[in-house]
Amino acid sequence: MATTTATLTLSSADIADNNISISNTMTFYTAGTNTGITETTGLARKKTVTGTNTTLLATGSGIAADVTADRSAKVYIKNINDRGDGRKFVTILLQTVEIGRLYGGDWMLIPWSGGSSNDIEFTASDTTETTLEYTCFYE
Amino acid sequence: MATTTATITLSSADLLSDNLSLSSTMNLYKDGTTATGLEQLNYHRAILAEDGDFDLIAESALLSDKANYVYICNKNTDVSHYCIISINSKVIGRLYAGDWLFMPWDCDETGATADSSVEIIPKEADATVEYALFHSGETLPTSSD
Repeated sequence: MATTTATLTLSSADIADNNISISNTMTFYTAGTNTGITETTGLARKKTVTGTNTTLLATGSGIAADVTADRSAKVYIKNINDRGDGRKFVTILLQTVEIGRLYGGDWMLIPWSGGSSNDIEFTASDTTETTLEYTCFYE
Repeated sequence: MATTTATITLSSADLLSDNLSLSSTMNLYKDGTTATGLEQLNYHRAILAEDGDFDLIAESALLSDKANYVYICNKNTDVSHYCIISINSKVIGRLYAGDWLFMPWDCDETGATADSSVEIIPKEADATVEYALFHSGETLPTSSD
């Protein structure tokens, strides 16, 4: 097995009267075990110049074929573009269902239930070149 | 405005044949701005009943189509315990004991059939969950009395 960890630190000195500091480290385990995840897509990069849906990770095909609903998988995505005027973003979707907007420089880390009809897709807010970096850890 | 940062570090010494080390820091800015930080925060800890289907973070008009960020952590310790996280009946994934997620959230109030609330279902046991929403503003219920 392998030991892969993800550490999150959320901090602010002025969003409230007292400092906010939330920090957590998780280890990527296979579903319901203490056994480390041993597979990954590696860090990848995807570009688009369209404002239409683009599939980032397709379930049931390629390296994501092993990602099913009852298995453990984690997906990291980062929009490496700039923010433009502040309204340049990428919408991340599970097929047609929007999760949220990654503005330039934003990242996200989510668990991912694969299985049918659960592709991770993205739509850029405009047609200038948009680049995402992403990786998936899975069992 | 406030300055709030989110930093992630992904690391492994033995997943690949060489060390994996990835780190990224982002500022939590408002939609339509290049450097104006989000100023509002909800931070909760809750114990949720097994198999309940809850709106953990509910829709609100003022949250709609804005920059919002969600943090959820399953604080249980038994590795068999997990929580199913979903939006509009579309399962994002399972948060096992000790797992966390951090994601943007696009509250989209286009109708009852497109409920964009962040939902949670604890499985195998009651779940202790910590969660936070960094946001641009929310619509509170109007007092009835």
